[in-house]
Amino acid sequence: MCRQLFLAAVAAICTIAGAACGSNTTSNATTAGASRSGIPRGGELLVSVRSEPRSFNRHAARDTTTSLVSNLTQSRLVRVNQATQAVEPLLAESWTTEDQGRQLTLSLRRDVVFSDGHPFTADDVLFAFESVYDEKTGSVLADSLQEGGKKLQVSATDPYTVVVTFPAAFAPGIRLLDSLPILPRHKLEGALKAGTFRKAWSLDTQPAEIVGLGPFLLSEYQPGQRLVFTRNPKYFAKAPDGGALPYLDRVVAEIIPDQSAELLRLESGQLDMMTSEISPEAYAPLKRAADEGRVKLLDLGVSRNADAFWFNLKPGAFGEDPRAGWLQRDELRRAISMAVDRKLFADTVFFGAGVPVYGPETPANKIWYWPGLPQTPHDAAAAKQLLASIGLSDRNNDGMLEDAQNRPARFTLLTQKGRPNLERGAAVIRDELKKIGLTVDVAALDAGAVIDQLLHAKYEALYFNADKSDLDPGTNPDFWFSFGSAHMWNLEEKAPVTDWEKKIDELMARQIATLDEAKRKTIYNDVQKIFYEHQPIVYFVAPRIYVAHSSRVMNLTPSEYRPQLFWRPETVAVVH
Amino acid sequence: MTRDVGAALVALALVAAGAAPIVAPHAPDSHFSQLLNAPPTIVRLVDAGGRWHAPFIYPWRLVNQLEQRYEEDRSTIAPLAWFSGGKLLRSSNDEAPLLLLGADNYGRDVFTRLIFGARTSLALAIASAFGAMFIGVSLGAAAGFSGGAVDEVLMRATDFVMVLPAIYVALALRSVLPLVLTPGQVFALLAAIFAIVGAPFVARGVRAIVRSERRLDYAAAAEALGASDARLLVRHLIPAARGFIAVQITLLVPAFIIAEATLSYVGLGFPDAVASWGTMLHDASTNIRVFADFPWLLSPAAAMFLVVLGVNLALQDAGTVVFAESGEPRRGVKSGS
Amino acid sequence: MIRYFARRLAFALVLVIGVSSATLMLTRLAPGDFITESLGTGASQQTIAQQRARYGLDKSIGAQYRDWIAGAARLDLGYSMQYGRPVRDLIPERAANTAILAITALLFATLIGLPLGVITGSRRGGAMAGAIRAASLVLLSMPPLLTSLFLVFLAARTGWLPISGMRSATVPAGGALIDLLRHLVVPAAAIALPLAAMLERLQAQAMSEVIRAPFVLATLARGVPQSRVLWRGALKAALRPVAGVYGLVIGSLLSGSFAVEVITAWPGLGSLMLQALRTRDIYLVAGCAGAGALFLACGTLVSDVALAAVDPRVSEMRTERA
Repeated sequence: MCRQLFLAAVAAICTIAGAACGSNTTSNATTAGASRSGIPRGGELLVSVRSEPRSFNRHAARDTTTSLVSNLTQSRLVRVNQATQAVEPLLAESWTTEDQGRQLTLSLRRDVVFSDGHPFTADDVLFAFESVYDEKTGSVLADSLQEGGKKLQVSATDPYTVVVTFPAAFAPGIRLLDSLPILPRHKLEGALKAGTFRKAWSLDTQPAEIVGLGPFLLSEYQPGQRLVFTRNPKYFAKAPDGGALPYLDRVVAEIIPDQSAELLRLESGQLDMMTSEISPEAYAPLKRAADEGRVKLLDLGVSRNADAFWFNLKPGAFGEDPRAGWLQRDELRRAISMAVDRKLFADTVFFGAGVPVYGPETPANKIWYWPGLPQTPHDAAAAKQLLASIGLSDRNNDGMLEDAQNRPARFTLLTQKGRPNLERGAAVIRDELKKIGLTVDVAALDAGAVIDQLLHAKYEALYFNADKSDLDPGTNPDFWFSFGSAHMWNLEEKAPVTDWEKKIDELMARQIATLDEAKRKTIYNDVQKIFYEHQPIVYFVAPRIYVAHSSRVMNLTPSEYRPQLFWRPETVAVVH
Repeated sequence: MTRDVGAALVALALVAAGAAPIVAPHAPDSHFSQLLNAPPTIVRLVDAGGRWHAPFIYPWRLVNQLEQRYEEDRSTIAPLAWFSGGKLLRSSNDEAPLLLLGADNYGRDVFTRLIFGARTSLALAIASAFGAMFIGVSLGAAAGFSGGAVDEVLMRATDFVMVLPAIYVALALRSVLPLVLTPGQVFALLAAIFAIVGAPFVARGVRAIVRSERRLDYAAAAEALGASDARLLVRHLIPAARGFIAVQITLLVPAFIIAEATLSYVGLGFPDAVASWGTMLHDASTNIRVFADFPWLLSPAAAMFLVVLGVNLALQDAGTVVFAESGEPRRGVKSGS
Repeated sequence: MIRYFARRLAFALVLVIGVSSATLMLTRLAPGDFITESLGTGASQQTIAQQRARYGLDKSIGAQYRDWIAGAARLDLGYSMQYGRPVRDLIPERAANTAILAITALLFATLIGLPLGVITGSRRGGAMAGAIRAASLVLLSMPPLLTSLFLVFLAARTGWLPISGMRSATVPAGGALIDLLRHLVVPAAAIALPLAAMLERLQAQAMSEVIRAPFVLATLARGVPQSRVLWRGALKAALRPVAGVYGLVIGSLLSGSFAVEVITAWPGLGSLMLQALRTRDIYLVAGCAGAGALFLACGTLVSDVALAAVDPRVSEMRTERA
C-alpha cells in the first residue's frame, strides 16, 4: 500500500516536471517575445570567439570580441531587432520625434541601476555623448554617431528625459543610437576629464572595475584563453513571465583562433555556439552531427552583404599607363558583369548556397531591396561587343583581346589572402574573364597590405568586402556620398567626378532627409538604378548564412547578421 | 639493394615531374566546376552487369551540392584511352574526366596537380638545398677550420640569420617588389630566401665536425706532409661531414617544400595556377573534412614521403653492418667510401 | 672561462638588439600599418592621420627607432598597440606558456628520438629499423599545420583529451595540474613527433658513422659486451652532431611554433608573434623577435657547452692553440 502510494507520487512528480521542462526545444526559434514559462533559468553557455579583445572600452577598439564584451556588459538606449529590423526600447522606454525628425525626445526608464548599484540617469546619457565626441579620445564610434559630418546635440530636460537634436532632418534617426553604449559616468568621468579616457578600461583593468547596465558582468579575463561573464543580478529588463533576466548564469567566451578546432569542439559537444557563421566546408560534418542530434543546424537565409568587385576609378590613378583609356570605363564593368556566370560562381565559391545579386542590396534587406532592379543577363557575346565598343578586340586571333595598339587586355586583381570566399571568388572571376579574352592576374595579400593599397589608390582592381552594418542606407553615408571615406572606388572625392555620382549625392541627401517611408523607398530605387547603369561596384553572389549550435541551447532569435545567435544575449537559455 | 630502391624512387619522381605534360591527364589549370572535392574515379574492368571491358571509369554525379556528396553514374561507361591527345592516359569522355586522386575544392584534378607540383616543389627544394649546402658548407668549414675571430664572426652571423624570422623579411620584400611576379621570378626569390635561411643549420653542423676532425691525427699528418689548407678541407675534412650533409638534405627538402606555403601567406608565393605541393597541403589543412572525407587531398604528403625516402635510401652509405642482428660483430669494416 | 661567458653574453645582447631593431624596421617597411589594419575600410583620411599621430606612427622610421632604443635601454619596450598593454608584461606571460610546451615536447622528443636513432643507426637492416625510419620520414613530410590538425582531429574523435586550450574553464576534480597535463598532450605531441623524427635521423646518421670507427671495433675485439660499446662509447661520440643542433632546437622551440599554437589555441609566444605580424604591432614584433633571439643565444650557449661535454677535445672554453 505505502509502496504503491510512493510510486504514484514519484510518477506524478515526474510527469509534472517533465511537462514543465520538456516543452520547448525548437530548431527554428520564433518570436521570443511570446510568453514561455518553460524556459530554464541558470546554466552555463560556452561560446567561441576568434581573437582576444583589444580593450574593454568600446570607444578604443572595434574588433568583434570587444564588441561582444560591450554587448554583454553594457546597454544602450535602443536596440535594432536584427530579426525584424524594428527599433526596440531598451534604456529608453519611449520616444517622440518633432520638427520633421530633427528633434528626438527620449523618456528613460526609471529605477535602473548600474551593476554596482549606482542609479542610472540622463547624466549618464549626456556622458555617453560627451565621450564619443571627445577630441582627445578619438573614439572609434565617433563617425557612426554623426550626421553629415556634424555632431548631434544632446541635452537633458530632467533626470529621465533626454533630447537629441540632429543638425538636419534625418530619417534613420534613432537607429544611430543602437551603436552607442551607455557607460557609467561615476566611474569614467575622471578619465575623460584627465584626457586618458581612451586608456581607461584597457585589458589590464580589474574585471570588478567594469561596471555597466548590461545583462552580464565580466568576472574573469584569462589572457589568450577565455573571458568569463556571470549574470548581473541588477539587470533592469525582465522576462515576459516577470522573472529576472538573463536566463543564463554564466557565459564563457573561449578564444579559439582556428576555425577547424572551433568546429571540432562544436561537433563533439565541447562548445555550445560560435559567434559567426560556418564556412561552406563545415556544412557536411555539421549536418551529420545534426542528423545524430548532437547539434542543430540553422539556415538563416541570404546574407545582407555580398563581396564586391571594383576598379580604381580615381582620375589619374593610372597616370601614363595606356590602359587608362579602358580600365576606368563603365563598359568594362558592365561587360564583366555580363561575362561572369553567377550560377557557376555560387556553385564554386559557396557550393551552391548562394543567391545571384546585381546591386548593393541583397534580398536579405526586405525593406530596401528592389526586386524590380534589372538583372544583368549572362551573355558572353554581348560582353565581347561592349568591350569591342571601347576598343578591345581580338586583333591577332590568339583568342585574347588587345587594344588598338595591340597591347594585351590585362589587369591585376587584388584580393585578401586567407579568406577562401575571396580567393575562390577571384579565381572564378579570373577564369570567367579568360573566356571572353581578358587576362586577369590575381594577387593575394594579407589584410593590412590590401587596405594600404586601397587607401593609397595604388591598385587596379579589387575584390574585397564593402560590408554595411545597418540595413537602412541612410546610415551608410560614407559609402554613398562621393566625399565619403567608404566610397570604395574613389575614396573621399573633393567634388563628384562624374555626373552620375553627383546625381547619387543629391538623391541620397534627399533620401536621408525625407521622413516619408514610401518616398524614401522610391528615391532609393532610383539610386539603385543609377548604380546598376554605371556599376561602380560589380556584385556577383551573396552567400546563404548557416549557423550551428549544440542541442542544449534554446530560446534564440536568429538573424543573418553577426553575431547571428547572440545579438540578444539576455534571452538565450540552456537546458541543464 | 635498398640503395637501388631509393635511386629508383627518386628517378621515378624526376621522370614523372619532367614528363608532366604527358603523364598528367589534364592541364594544370583546368577545373571542373561540377566536381568540387570529387572522390577518385575508380578504374574498373567489370561493369555492374558483370561484363568485362577495357579499363573504364564511371562518371561522378553530384547527389548533394552543399554536402559535396557524389555517386557513380552507372549508366555511362567512360573507357580509358592510352596515348591519346598527347596524354599517357585519360578518359575518352570529356564529361567524365579521369580523376585518379580525386579533385580539390576548386575542381582541379589532384593527380595532375601532384605531377606538375612535383616540378615546382622538387625543383625549388633541390635548388634551395644546393644553395643552402653550398653556403652552409663554405661557412661552416671556414669557421671550423680557422677558429678564432673568423669562427666567431661567421657563427654569430649565422645566429643572426637563424633567429631573424624570415616571414618579416618576406613581408618587407613584398612592399618593394611589384605586385605581380612571374613564376620564374618567384622561384628565384624563394630559392634565394630558402638557401640563406637553411644555410645556418648546415653551417653549424659542418663547423662542429670540421673542428673536431681538424684535431685528429690524420689531419695533423696530412698537414705535416705539406697539404695546403684548401686541400685539407676539400679532401679530408668536408668529406667527413658528408653523412651529416646528406641527412641535412633529407631534412631540408621537405621543410622547404612546406615553407613555400608559409611564405605565400604574406604574398610571396606562386600564383594560383602554378601547382606546388606546399600550397596543396596548406589548402588541404584548412579543410576540416580532409581526414574523414577527402584523404586524397593529402597525397602531396605521401609523394613527399616517397621522395624523401628515396633520397634517404640512395644516400646511405653501403658500409657493412657492424652489429648484426644476432649480436655478433662482423669483420671487414670498409672505410667510409 | 669567465671571459668566454662574458663574451657570449655580450654577443647575446648584440644579437637581441640587432634582431629586434631589424624586425622593427622590416615591419615599418611592410605595406600597411597598425592603423590601416585596425580601422579597416571606411575610415576617413582625417581619422587615420589622427590615430597615426596618437600611436606615434607618423614619426619617421629614424625618430621612432631612436625613441624605442632609448626606451629599451630603460627596459621599457613600448606598448602593444592592439592589446594596450606594455610589451614587457605580455611577453613573459606568453613565453612562460610556450616554455611549458617546449620543455615537455623537447623531453619527449629526446627520449623517443635519440634512442630510436641509436637503434636504427647501429642496425643496418632489420624490419624494425626500416619501420622506424619510415615513420620518421612520414613525420618529416607532414607540415606542422597538418600534424597538429590531425592530432586535434583524433582528440575530437576519441574524446579522450580536450581539443584545444591550455586549461579548462572550471578546474575539474582531478586538480589543476592534471588539467594542464591533459591539455598539454596534443600540442606537445604535435611538436614532439616531428622533432623526434629529426633527432632520430640525425642520431642514426651519426651513429652509423661512429660504429665504423676503429676504436669501436677495437673495443669489441677486446671483449667488451656489445650493448655497452653501443650505449656508452659509441653513443658519446655520436652525440656530437645532435649536440651541435640541440641548442638551436631549444631556441626555436622557445620562440614557439605558431602553427601548433594557433590550431590548439595554446596562448604562447608563437601565436603572439603571428598576431603581431598580422596587425603590424611594431613594438610587440620587436619584443617577440628580441625574445626569440635571447632564447636562441641561450640555446647556442647550451649547445656549445653540450658539445664540449661530449667531445672534450673541442672545448673552446680552454685556451686554444694558434
